[in-house]
Amino acid sequence: MKAAQQIPRNALAWIILCQVLLLAPHGLRVPAWLLLLYLAAFGWRVQLYRNRLPAPTRWLKLVLIGAAMAGIGWSYGSLIGLEPTVALLLAAYALKLVESVSRKDAYVLIFLGFFLLITEFLFSQDLLIVVYASFVAWLLTAALVALHRTGEGFELAPLRVAGVMLAQAFPLMLVLFFLFPRIGPLWNVPIRAHAAQTGMSDFLRPGDVARLTQSTEVAFRARFAGEVPQARDLYWRGLVMSVLEDDTWRSLRFFEAPPAQRRPAPVEAVGAVLDYSVIIEPTQQHWLYALRYAEPQESGVMALADYTLYSPATLESERRYSVRSWPGAAIGLELDTWRRRLETRLPEGENPRALALARQLRAAADDDEAFIARVLALFREQPFRYTLQPPLLGDDPVDDFLFGTRAGFCEHYANAFAVLMRAAGVPARIVAGYQGGEINPMNGTVIVHQFDAHAWNEVWLEGQGWMRVDPTAAVSPARVEFGLETAVQGEGSFLAGSPLSPLRYRAVSWVNTLRLRYDALTYRWQSWVVGFDSERQVELLGKWFGRIDAKRFVAVLLGSFGVVLAAVALALLVRAGPRRDPLLRAWARLRARLVRAGVPVHAGDSPATVLARAQQRYPAAAADLGVLAEEFTALLYRPVGSGDLRRLQQRLRRLRLSSQ
Amino acid sequence: MSASGLQGAIDAAVDEVATVLLGKEPEIRLALCCLLARGHLLIEDLPGMGKTTLSHALASVLGLSYNRVQFTSDLLPADILGVAIYQPGDNSFRFHAGPVFTQVLLADEINRSTPRTQSALLEAMAEHQVTVEGETRPLPEPFFVIATQNPLDQSGTYPLPESQLDRFLMRIELGYPDPGAERELLRRGGSGREADVLRQRMGPAELTGVQTAATAVHCSPALLDYLQRLVARTREPGEFAVGLSPRGALALLAAGKTWAVMHGRDHVLPEDLQAVLGPVAAHRLVAADSFGGDGRALVALLQREVDVVPG
Repeated sequence: MKAAQQIPRNALAWIILCQVLLLAPHGLRVPAWLLLLYLAAFGWRVQLYRNRLPAPTRWLKLVLIGAAMAGIGWSYGSLIGLEPTVALLLAAYALKLVESVSRKDAYVLIFLGFFLLITEFLFSQDLLIVVYASFVAWLLTAALVALHRTGEGFELAPLRVAGVMLAQAFPLMLVLFFLFPRIGPLWNVPIRAHAAQTGMSDFLRPGDVARLTQSTEVAFRARFAGEVPQARDLYWRGLVMSVLEDDTWRSLRFFEAPPAQRRPAPVEAVGAVLDYSVIIEPTQQHWLYALRYAEPQESGVMALADYTLYSPATLESERRYSVRSWPGAAIGLELDTWRRRLETRLPEGENPRALALARQLRAAADDDEAFIARVLALFREQPFRYTLQPPLLGDDPVDDFLFGTRAGFCEHYANAFAVLMRAAGVPARIVAGYQGGEINPMNGTVIVHQFDAHAWNEVWLEGQGWMRVDPTAAVSPARVEFGLETAVQGEGSFLAGSPLSPLRYRAVSWVNTLRLRYDALTYRWQSWVVGFDSERQVELLGKWFGRIDAKRFVAVLLGSFGVVLAAVALALLVRAGPRRDPLLRAWARLRARLVRAGVPVHAGDSPATVLARAQQRYPAAAADLGVLAEEFTALLYRPVGSGDLRRLQQRLRRLRLSSQ
Repeated sequence: MSASGLQGAIDAAVDEVATVLLGKEPEIRLALCCLLARGHLLIEDLPGMGKTTLSHALASVLGLSYNRVQFTSDLLPADILGVAIYQPGDNSFRFHAGPVFTQVLLADEINRSTPRTQSALLEAMAEHQVTVEGETRPLPEPFFVIATQNPLDQSGTYPLPESQLDRFLMRIELGYPDPGAERELLRRGGSGREADVLRQRMGPAELTGVQTAATAVHCSPALLDYLQRLVARTREPGEFAVGLSPRGALALLAAGKTWAVMHGRDHVLPEDLQAVLGPVAAHRLVAADSFGGDGRALVALLQREVDVVPG
């Protein structure tokens, strides 16, 4: 191996540094043994450099590859899907370092590093990750620069060069960001099959939850066109759960409904209008959140029969959608018999005491409304309490809850309320979603966190349609009025699981300001960069260049990119050759002409040699060829001024080759 | 000294040497070119091919003092450089100059001696001076080393290391004479002229004249491009394990310039570089194991594959 072909020591140092930084954000996602693999690879590489360890043999390499694949298959249970694939890539990246010997391998390592950098965005497009990735991209570029330097020691100069290069590339990046067509993928695979679904689940089973885990993660951010409504009116509907089976509430599946019931019944949109847009964090689910009654202002968002919004594509990354809501509009005024049966169905033989209580209260009440008020009064007057750490419930959870524990959070109350309503023949269901939200004074957005998750009920009343009833509000008005934190103040359980979250230190004013500022920045980032999809691109370009058709825009753009790239390629091609020099161009042309005329020409022949050979082949033109040989030699090799290029070119034009 | 006068003197010198080394005019010309370019010469061939005759004859026609050292495995550095000997009369040491203090030193069969002795020549060749007993003494000007060696596959030899090979501007081989020349040799029956009776054909004035002319020779950008392409090709991975160093490139240029002067030109042609490429480059190049040839094959490859004019 020649020294010139080896990876310079400083470049190796940069590459190892980059590998550490590339691994870091994946560190918590990958199995621990992968981290050990990296440590081993670094150690081996260093020992290899010091000639203390031999390079791996082909068999050892095969064994290592097989072991890494088996390990990943074992850790994830599969090799398919985003996490296993990224882990596989990371393992291969570690092993490649051990195998790398030559400069070529270093290129592979660095370019693979750029690719690995992108994989981070499949997991999070958070602003901090973007800042981090830019930093690593800078270091990777520095590694590339270091590979072209001869210095042996570790030096920082490549950083400066790489910084200048990236700064020069920045305007081009901006242009491409705004202009490059967002072409949809050719096929869609649920790539994050192994990701835990975050946020809400699509079922509700109150008896089983002993401790509601509260996450400080943001669920979504909303921005209203006008005034932000009061927190107590912000009921973000996500899922409507109409089916109670095995103590579990779930929503009705699309095909369980008769075809006529699969689409929402038309609603007379009256009253005040709210216009807002929501940027939702990835959930790996399909449902979207909105205030009732909501109409999507966006293609790609469906409205379901229960007036919730649904995205046919899994929410694998941040998604932005615009909604228009009429909070005062009545929904579902007509209740079809099939649906009435569905919304009043209860499992046989469960919760006998609750059923008896419901029938007794209904008999005492004049109408359904009075019955509802009576049940809510029950919650208010009896010693029910709101807690995040409720005791577990037994086989008849509603009986246990109503007559035993009397402690729980929103899910328990919503469950009990719905069962009581249905027992009395009043159509009722549970709505799961978020309630409230934090208004960021920096930019007026409403930040809804995971701990704002809530469950409440909807009850159908003749002439009024589906009405919202929140039994939790009866027990703990503070939950709805001021949020969860105030509601559980005495318990000390708020965010008990997240000791480091800045949300816990809201009382410290600078922490809070910093947190809100960062959130405002995140919102801006999401709405301008992450959310810049093809629709917004066409919209923006339409603003600049007048309205254009999306398809034509893509065609024009791709066409012009093609033209520009072709022009650049052509310019490079022309410049790469030595033909800029008219003398060399003249010689190349003459040589090609002689080759066509059957004169053998080799690379190592000087013009004089070639022309002497041509003289033998074409004796008739010998004199001309001899003069040409003189001229070429003079122009090429004699001191400046001994030849005349123009005369040479004239002679070349006059040259006639004939065998006679 | 006029250019044609120089060329005449050079041609006369070549002809004069050719009278004792029959049928080897191209090799004589290359050897002379090497000396005129102020380089040391390595002659590699089997015994009895006329190596000693050539070197002695060159010294004679150039009118230079000549010493010959037969290198053997027990030769010591002092045997070449000289030694300080105690003088009982005035209680002092007096330096007795060794055979290196001459203008042309023939180091015969240099690869028969140990590396220690070979390296004693190193300073002399590079610096034109020797340091003995802590005192540095200049060598006469001009100073040439003509070394001969047997091909390395003979037993009992110490191959010259690459660092030392690099100090020889050229390495030439003589080869068997052609049938006509050999017939003439046989006809004379060994009673021909001896090398030491050759007439001097060039003096110090001609030597300096050639060297001045060589520095003034024009090297066009097109020629330097070709030279750089040649050198760059030797550094590409593949056939070459060791390519030409910058010193090798300079040597090639110097030899090419002298070759141009010897042919009466004021500019260097690609043909000049090609003419001296073999002697200058072959001993500096090392072929990769996979190539399966030696330095000569590599030079042939360079001459065949590198574009004289790109196109």
